[in-house]
Amino acid sequence: MLRWGRPLPHPFIEQNYFKAVITMPIEREDKAVELIGITKYFPGTVANYKVNLTVKKGEVLALLGENGAGKSTLMKILYGMYLPDEGEIWIDGKKVDIRSPQDALSLGIGMIHQHFTLVPVHTVVENVLLSAFNTPKGKASVSEVAKEIEEIGKKYGLEVDPYAYVNQLTVGMQQRVEILKALYAGARILIMDEPTAVLTPQNTKKLFEFVRDFRKAGNSVVFITHKLNEVMEIADRIVVMRNGMVTGELSRQEASENELARMMVGKELEEITVTNPSEGNLSGEVVLSVRDLKVKSARGHMAVDQLSLDIRAGEIFGIAGVSGNGQEELAEALCGLRSVEGGEVLLEGRNIVGRKVVEIINEGVGYIPADRHREGLVLDMNIEENLILRKFESEKFSAKGVLLQENIHQYAQKAIGEYAIKAPSSKVKVRGLSGGNQQKVVVAREMDIATTVLVAVQPTRGLDLGAIDYVHRTLLRARSEGKAILLISTELSEVLALSDRIGVIYRGRIVKVFNRQDAKVDEIGLAMMGVSNDETQ
Amino acid sequence: MKRSKKIALSLFPVYSVFLGLALSGILMLLLDANPFVVYKKMLIFVFRDAYNVADIFAKATPLILTGLAFGFAFRASLFNIGAQGQFYMGCLASVACSLFMGNLPALVLLPLCVVVSGAAGGLWGSLVGYAKARFNANEFLISMMSTYVAIAIMNYLIRGPLIESKGEYPQTDVITQSAWIPQIIPHTRLHWGFVLAVVVAALAYFILWKTTLGFRIRAVGMNRDSARYAGINEKRIFVEVFFISGAFAGLAGFMEVNGIQHMLVQGFNPYLGAEGIGIAILGNAHPLGIIFAAILFGALKVGGNLVVQTSSIPSSIIGIMEGLVMISVIFSYFLKERILVRMEKKMLQAEERKEGPRK
Repeated sequence: MLRWGRPLPHPFIEQNYFKAVITMPIEREDKAVELIGITKYFPGTVANYKVNLTVKKGEVLALLGENGAGKSTLMKILYGMYLPDEGEIWIDGKKVDIRSPQDALSLGIGMIHQHFTLVPVHTVVENVLLSAFNTPKGKASVSEVAKEIEEIGKKYGLEVDPYAYVNQLTVGMQQRVEILKALYAGARILIMDEPTAVLTPQNTKKLFEFVRDFRKAGNSVVFITHKLNEVMEIADRIVVMRNGMVTGELSRQEASENELARMMVGKELEEITVTNPSEGNLSGEVVLSVRDLKVKSARGHMAVDQLSLDIRAGEIFGIAGVSGNGQEELAEALCGLRSVEGGEVLLEGRNIVGRKVVEIINEGVGYIPADRHREGLVLDMNIEENLILRKFESEKFSAKGVLLQENIHQYAQKAIGEYAIKAPSSKVKVRGLSGGNQQKVVVAREMDIATTVLVAVQPTRGLDLGAIDYVHRTLLRARSEGKAILLISTELSEVLALSDRIGVIYRGRIVKVFNRQDAKVDEIGLAMMGVSNDETQ
Repeated sequence: MKRSKKIALSLFPVYSVFLGLALSGILMLLLDANPFVVYKKMLIFVFRDAYNVADIFAKATPLILTGLAFGFAFRASLFNIGAQGQFYMGCLASVACSLFMGNLPALVLLPLCVVVSGAAGGLWGSLVGYAKARFNANEFLISMMSTYVAIAIMNYLIRGPLIESKGEYPQTDVITQSAWIPQIIPHTRLHWGFVLAVVVAALAYFILWKTTLGFRIRAVGMNRDSARYAGINEKRIFVEVFFISGAFAGLAGFMEVNGIQHMLVQGFNPYLGAEGIGIAILGNAHPLGIIFAAILFGALKVGGNLVVQTSSIPSSIIGIMEGLVMISVIFSYFLKERILVRMEKKMLQAEERKEGPRK
């Protein structure tokens, strides 16, 4: 068979190879963009895995998914900001090689970034010219460009004073400038990365009007978002991504908010093997009490806004919600890592707001952070060092400023045995461990610190099933030891499986609290999207 | 197989030293000199008498310390480019101490000079750390500029209060004999300061890997977010690291003033700080590596000088050799890193193919 001399095709590309050859002449015509088998590796992770995606001409495609699902990476590949490791890009039925945003622009692909890419001290015209610098249109004179900006603005209802300085414009107007930049460069395919995140409802309405006009003219829009109501309002077709893969594709007629919510957050319910074997202690003493807490995010907006909750000893309180609704800020504030704008955090009745990190550790508050690589571990330190990272100054591990190597070693041996951490020795860098074993190091350390409260944020992110199972069992063990546990996760299935009570966080507030036996996936899912909230308002 | 690959990778810097020397050889060809003859001469001259061999270590002594000055801060991911200025502050403190306390016995005077020069360099350095902690200043620029300020201070003091009693040249009087660091081998320039420098390197190692301070420093250096999460105050670390690092460079001042020059001449040894950076990088910011790298540079200097004095090759060849060795070693680190990343990516790719993605 293979004697014909054709080399064996690449195992991934093979099917796509035929697909490309066979399907192209038949149905390529109405396709503006076709991504085939796109895979992107980043060191230590797979951001996109064999993603196939089609955008038709004259269509608004909503790309729906959680933060970290791979939407932005995929679109950055289409826009030439990243190169794919595998896969092909076809534009208007032709295979193309996009190596930079300039290439993308010349093919008619424009991108509106979530964080604007404007020069604030320059005028609108200057910004538009800057992005078209390498194209023939970049040679036009300022007055010509200004005229054309006004024309485009009139056509699409995006009027902007071309000579205004960008830093004097409102956020909504700045976004118009971003769009004008792309349109001036001749974009027929617009990628919008969470464009409404920064807009007021009125501006959002106007933006949607533009999107409809733009589509009517035969152009295409890819709309990245995680807001369901917007999807239902603007999209013709919806693609859901999760873990770097496309997990669902629906037309708007087929879709319902309930179903989309489930596709985004609840698809893997059956994968959780541990279920809460017994009821937690719902009558224990309140150990951690949060009152009207206000915390600002790094970007300066109020990420946690008047949030209150109580957790009892021997209880797991789960917080469900789409990421970016204040979960991490809440956890950081509880552990002394982020300053608090208002309200109080009572630990066994004592207010711990304003206390230092080390003091809160000594109060027995453990914290498993969401990102073990960025925060939970020092990857280039060894297991022993990471196990004592948050308590190296305790008298067990140091005396007069000198580390007690023997004690540390013995402690590490014990922890490695107890938590079944698989490693050749306790002196190897944690960078070389598998994700599951890395997380076990974090869990072992924080379980030891947490004598009263354990805050766990996304404790199973990126782990395989065996490790997920292990972490879940450990959390349940902590509960039976009488610790108060705050479990924050965007995996609804995880929250459902472990929690005794479930609070739904939306825009920095607990909008609803369910007891576990009354909790329904649909209701929680809608509350996470702020849907029930919007209806009652 | 993976293990042997890793060992081969870790030898890259060693090979690259030879590569740097070979590249210098090509440049010697352009100077109409036969590199084999030059290198042969160099070896013969260096090992012809004990004085030259001893001089290698004498030259290496201050280089170990300025190398440590950069390397120690580098462990906290801080860039101390100002070792030259801290070195000058150490020189000034040490010469002043030797001149004004000259009637103290050597056993008191020498330790006093050690403390004073270290403290002077350390305090000068900690200003940089403070600027970073308090104003979020860029320590790279501030430390670099602090050198120019130190030079101005030195120029003023050497032409003013510290000028020799004749008042002719911008230099100090010769310090009293009891302030001279004793020689290890008589009639050479090798003094006990070399041993002290090695002890200081060992101390740096001890601080970094055996103490809680070192734990904090390395945590801040390897991952600031994790350090914050562990409750470490990174601002305090900035000041502490720059103090210690500056103290190392200040000690180099003591070595040069009390061990070699026995006086302070305006603007001497102007490249010690810059060479320290190269040595620290050559030694991978590890105290042991820094010692070896400093000795290598000392050998290049001594050998180079001898060859230059006895043949028609211009003296710039020494700088060329140092530079090319440095470049090829740095390039080898870069290459090593790239190969490691590529290996990791391949492994990941193979894994995915087998199991499908895990996230």
